[in-house]
Amino acid sequence: MSDRTSADATPPSALGDSIAQGWSDRDELPPADWGRRTSTRRTGTVWLFALMITAMAMAHSWLTDELTDQAFLAWATIFTAIAFQALPFLVFGVALSAMLTAFVPASVYRKFIPQNAGRAVPVAGASGAVLPGCECASVPIAGSLIKRGVAPAAALTFLLAAPSINPIVMIATAVAFAGQPEMVLARFVAGLLASVVIGWIWVRFGKADWLRLPSRSHTPGASRWQIFRESMLHDIMHAGGYLVVGALAAATLNVMVPREWLLAVAEAPIISVLVLALLAIVLSICSEADAFVAVSLTDFSPTAKLAFMVIGPIVDLKLIAMQAGVFGWRFVARFAPICLIVGLASTFLIGGLLL
Amino acid sequence: MNRIAQGLTLVLLGAAALTATVPTNLYLNWVKAGFGPFLVAAGAVTVILGVLVIVAELRGESGALDHSEATPEHAHGAQTDGVPTVDGARERDRAVAEEYGDGGHDHSRAPKVAWLLLLPVVAVFVIAPPALGSYTVESTGGSSGPPPEEQTSDGFKDALTEADAGETVSMAVQEFVMRAWIDEGREMAGRDIELTGFAVPDEEGEGWYLARLQMACCAADAVVNRVEIVDDGPTPEADTWWTVRGSWVEPEGELSEVSDHQFRVEEREEVTDPPDPYE
Repeated sequence: MSDRTSADATPPSALGDSIAQGWSDRDELPPADWGRRTSTRRTGTVWLFALMITAMAMAHSWLTDELTDQAFLAWATIFTAIAFQALPFLVFGVALSAMLTAFVPASVYRKFIPQNAGRAVPVAGASGAVLPGCECASVPIAGSLIKRGVAPAAALTFLLAAPSINPIVMIATAVAFAGQPEMVLARFVAGLLASVVIGWIWVRFGKADWLRLPSRSHTPGASRWQIFRESMLHDIMHAGGYLVVGALAAATLNVMVPREWLLAVAEAPIISVLVLALLAIVLSICSEADAFVAVSLTDFSPTAKLAFMVIGPIVDLKLIAMQAGVFGWRFVARFAPICLIVGLASTFLIGGLLL
Repeated sequence: MNRIAQGLTLVLLGAAALTATVPTNLYLNWVKAGFGPFLVAAGAVTVILGVLVIVAELRGESGALDHSEATPEHAHGAQTDGVPTVDGARERDRAVAEEYGDGGHDHSRAPKVAWLLLLPVVAVFVIAPPALGSYTVESTGGSSGPPPEEQTSDGFKDALTEADAGETVSMAVQEFVMRAWIDEGREMAGRDIELTGFAVPDEEGEGWYLARLQMACCAADAVVNRVEIVDDGPTPEADTWWTVRGSWVEPEGELSEVSDHQFRVEEREEVTDPPDPYE
């Protein structure tokens, strides 16, 4: 019943759009027709949204009080929570990345970031420690860095380092693990190490055509604000859609996986580390909050909690979906496993040394 | 997804964020109160961006950008086509769509997945998800374990340390549970304590728990804190909010071995306008 509500509201629109798109995509129509078609399609779109808003208003008055299934409501709450918690970070990241695209000339990057990719990687890793933001913000920023001529490996290192070791995350970790400074240090070292090593691996083995990047060259005539607007729109549409996919998956697993399963494996030394790494991937908690969750998983060893905090910011469902939106699935299929393996290796190494 | 649809989607998404924060307090059901201003800002930016996109499209402004960008897109499309992959067909479809869709301008169309941005809108306006409550407490099997850090009792900074010996202390459920678990000095013993939370009737019959969810950032990371209530009154309905006054039932053995902390209630009062549901 309740599931149908949300389904009712969207698919008609998606269907309508896909039909309209299907026509326009495949038929190579004479250019003279474009104008007329577009305006018909515009009117159709406006009608579609009007219909949808009416449907939502009707559902609001008739249906909202009928939705009482507890499991569904808990799912909806977690989905909405993830989506709206990430929204400010997404908008911030997208705005910053649009600013980089529109207002910072490419020469600035060439000046600050070494041309040699191998040397650029540690610089990018260290700069991740400066910029506050979570993983939702760093995906579009990394995309625009690559477009501005920064070596992909360095941009990817930044993508991983920024959510792992930025100041807000470190403060949150220190607050959550009060009295355990070694945990904060371990997180910083392990996160930075993993980001830099992954960057170097990408320098050595990465191939340019794995990355699908929109090669954007803007018209000289377009004003900076137009470029800013277009870049922001493009990034929100790509990263935002996939953020919702990630939120859907994370909310579903969050509600469906019982916590007892986790506690059952908490005793086993290596398995428990792997289980918390997997949990970090599945839950997709924002890196600024994951320390509070890690500290609450009290039955697990410190190394397992470290794995939760190292893996979470570099691989999780929400992040995978967003990276797919910005860089393409061919990229994600290679990048996510590398991140997982290197992140785990780094966790075991640093956990063994410091914890 | 054409540009009008993109603009309208953004306007609706921003409107949803603003609706949940400005005229209502819905957002407190999902995220920490501190997120409020950021959500307002993000919502406003999203609405403005959406309006600007629609206005630009109606003026036909983007058309000027389209043609100049067609050339690099062709090169890009051809490159993708050359690589045979499992999803090669889909890639090619996309490349075709990019090249021919809407005048060869890749960026004027958004991928289909962007329609999903309407789901949070539907969630806010139709479902209006409530705060997590007794269902979550039951399904997570009660409280998490005690925190591991070696805190001494003078390390506590909560309502109890600030209150005078004789007066009633209003504590957060989270503070109470923390004390009950690790305060070896047992400072709570014999004190008059007040707790506020929602009722979770025991699944196996008698009794009920007073629970409150602790949230670091958003509802996805909510952690359950609950206290077993000892009183003579009838079991309240699930998810009703109560303020209870009474005292901690001091356990006999080791604190860390207690699974459910007990609270003997002397007075209880139903709360009609529940506060921020999380701590």
